[in-house]
Amino acid sequence: MSADGPARATLGIAGVGAYVPRFYLPASAYREAWDKGGAPGVDRVAVADADEDTLTMATEAGRRALAAAGVDAGDIDHLALATTTPPNDEEESAVRLASLLGVGPSVPTRQFGGSTRAGAVALAATVGETATVGPRLVVVADGPRGAPESDEAAGAGAGAAALVLAEDGPLVVDAVGEFGDPAPGTRFRGFGSAETESIGVTQYERDAYTRAVVGAVEALGIDTAELDPDAVALTAPDGKLPYRAANALDVEPARIAAGTVVSRTGDAGAAGPVLGLASALDSAGDAGADESDGRSPATSVLLVGYGGGAGATALTLSTEATDTNAAASSVVPVEAALDGDVELSYAEALRRRGTITGGEPAGGGAYVSVPTWKRTIPQRHRLVAGECAECGALSFPPEGACPDCGSLAGYDDVTLPGTGTVEAATAIGQGGAPPEFVEQQQRAGSFPVAVVAFDGPGGETDDRTVSAPAQVVHSPAGTPAISDRVEAVPRRIYEQEGVVRYGFKVVPTEARRE
Amino acid sequence: MRDAYIVGAGQSNYGAFPDESYRSLFATAFEEALGSADGVGATDIDEAVVGSLGVGGRQLGLSGPAVTEHVGLHGVPCSRIENACAASGYAVRQAVQAVKSGMADVALAGGYEVMTDMSGDVAKYWLGVSGETEWERLTGTTFAGVYAQMASAYLDAYDASPDHFSKVAVKNHANGAKNPKAHLGFECSLDDARSAPVVADPLNLYHCCPTSDGAAAVLVASEDVASTCDDAVRVAGVGAASERVGLFQRDSYTAVESSERAAGAAYEMAGLDPDDVDFAEVHDCFAIAELLAYEDLGFCERGHAPELVDSGATELGGDLPVNPSGGLKSKGHPIGATGAGQVVEAFKQLTGRAGDRQVAGASVGLTHNVGGSGGAAVVHVLERGAL
Repeated sequence: MSADGPARATLGIAGVGAYVPRFYLPASAYREAWDKGGAPGVDRVAVADADEDTLTMATEAGRRALAAAGVDAGDIDHLALATTTPPNDEEESAVRLASLLGVGPSVPTRQFGGSTRAGAVALAATVGETATVGPRLVVVADGPRGAPESDEAAGAGAGAAALVLAEDGPLVVDAVGEFGDPAPGTRFRGFGSAETESIGVTQYERDAYTRAVVGAVEALGIDTAELDPDAVALTAPDGKLPYRAANALDVEPARIAAGTVVSRTGDAGAAGPVLGLASALDSAGDAGADESDGRSPATSVLLVGYGGGAGATALTLSTEATDTNAAASSVVPVEAALDGDVELSYAEALRRRGTITGGEPAGGGAYVSVPTWKRTIPQRHRLVAGECAECGALSFPPEGACPDCGSLAGYDDVTLPGTGTVEAATAIGQGGAPPEFVEQQQRAGSFPVAVVAFDGPGGETDDRTVSAPAQVVHSPAGTPAISDRVEAVPRRIYEQEGVVRYGFKVVPTEARRE
Repeated sequence: MRDAYIVGAGQSNYGAFPDESYRSLFATAFEEALGSADGVGATDIDEAVVGSLGVGGRQLGLSGPAVTEHVGLHGVPCSRIENACAASGYAVRQAVQAVKSGMADVALAGGYEVMTDMSGDVAKYWLGVSGETEWERLTGTTFAGVYAQMASAYLDAYDASPDHFSKVAVKNHANGAKNPKAHLGFECSLDDARSAPVVADPLNLYHCCPTSDGAAAVLVASEDVASTCDDAVRVAGVGAASERVGLFQRDSYTAVESSERAAGAAYEMAGLDPDDVDFAEVHDCFAIAELLAYEDLGFCERGHAPELVDSGATELGGDLPVNPSGGLKSKGHPIGATGAGQVVEAFKQLTGRAGDRQVAGASVGLTHNVGGSGGAAVVHVLERGAL
């Protein structure tokens, strides 16, 4: 298959976003804990915070991609989410992602999963989608798990990457190649299980990987020598397999390094190759690639998604050299937070992941029903406040009498930008949290809670603010100080009855990674 | 409208009593109230208003009639008020209204709560139900957390330090040590109070009141009835006000507007001002709440509560003793009983029955009861022997 046709000349990647959790577990800590080697070629693995999951990471990456591309979420016409680890095996995760991002309710959402090939498949399918007119968003997020003693757990990382495809986007998908050949037992997860596994027959699994990757690249119908990509971004269960494929593909290991981040993130499942693409395109060259020695951003990339079982999808992407304004248009804007900056011990990593913590305690009072929560989703997901129809003051949540003039005239929806100032703050000590937050505290310890004066729709220069309470994540000082500036981030608030309640927390602006 | 008088008041011990039920605790309080009232008997009671949050979840409906029927007030109409920690302060206010309006000649007001016979996890559910639930509580904020947020704003706005919170704890424990019914009736040193484990920064364990079991009962009577009693305390003024339940919804985090309004109304009805008050029982669920109360009740200007603490004026023997009973901090805080229990202390003080903690020459007392972090507040100004 080839993506040749009318779309080819116009549809390209116009913005790239990437988000990797800031906590990481060094390989040395794993080795010390288990007295064995850990995942080959992996220096450290990213660990999601207790209140992060694939959907919050997807939202972080999606928002960054939209910002990089300069596209409003409301203008997105097609949304694809790829993950092997959605919060629930069955449920419309992509619809929740759309809500968290602010993508409209009538926009088609497509969800891909089932294997770590899903990210490449989502990109290929989105490029091939002919009914869509406006910009499209592809988000890939994953956080694979394994049994604690397994190789899968040793390498398990986390991360998300997102691509905005738009007319005249500089990086165009030139061709797509596919390959499938049954190789059962190479990487799989049983029905209802949270742990990825494999049968552990090393050579068989390496062969399955190489055969599928090479097969998909051959199906592109392009000579790899002629292709000569600046970077090769492959699904990377560990830091060795992609280099084994390099020989078979006849590309230099440096090209693999330019499109591989597994040594820094661990196995990010379906997100791996798209994170590699983000790293290769990052113009600053410091987005966390395995070798980022001042190289220029890639202008041609070979991206291959591999899924255990086994199958692969290959895509070639390049900037349009024929463009008369090539120099200006060939740079793909990237907003990437690929490097973790907070090291965890092995025990802390197990706590953050919830491997060794209990669930919600028994209790009863002050229960907030799911329908009650659902009514507040615009506020929880997108900070939709109200502007009093009578006096113009802001109200959050927008209901009841105006806090300023007391009018019951109602509110016009306005979206807050998410920046604000701490007005009051505390930290809830370990053991003191309400029952819904007991497990979070077991996993992540004491947490600060602030009352934040959020900036009005005009941002910091808007005269109006509106206050709301919020938990504070990554507060270097513990309890933030009054007047500290903060920004909203998407997080899991709590889980009850099997339903994750998503909402916003805030991170101190000085601690936020760009 | 005619005047109303407190003619009897009593309370159970406050503490942790696995052998007691909310009914038996209420019976103890009721018995003491009847025993303290000369010339008024159970059969004279024609109205009852009681307060509780939910008795730990075991009796959500009709716990009011359950306690009044238990103590033999068969057939007497009983209403239960739920205004969180201000429940029975409001119950007293309702009883006063019933008497003033002429609908009742003797009204019983009281409250009860059982909080210590459940696991910490279950208790946390119950403690979490009195704030703004959907937003405030679901950011993981506890009550201590909300008051800690107020404390953070106060420390930022004024010349105050956490030491002022510790001094309040030391004072209230010193008073509570003189109160045989106190839950935590022991003295503590300033070092104890300073070095306690942090609960919600900047509040530590000694800046937070306990959760308690207990009950309180107050008999409110008309002037005609009161004139037959040996001791009667006039309800000179009553004031109450509501406020937005969530802290984030308010105009100020360093003042409790409902307390300020309630106090203003009570002073106005009484024709008195803060200078006339000889002692006060204020709602010190957290030490910062006592500092805010000094300012909300007009005992000092905004931002000057720390000076008032430092001056020693609010200690027993000072110009304006605050919480001679030990307050919520030392006497204890059985949510539904607390407001009525404050009136019990005021009755004892104004009738010279307060024993070792008696405020010498007290003739005007004030009680201040707050629900949640200020969503409801009620203030009574009580006057000795003004019959």
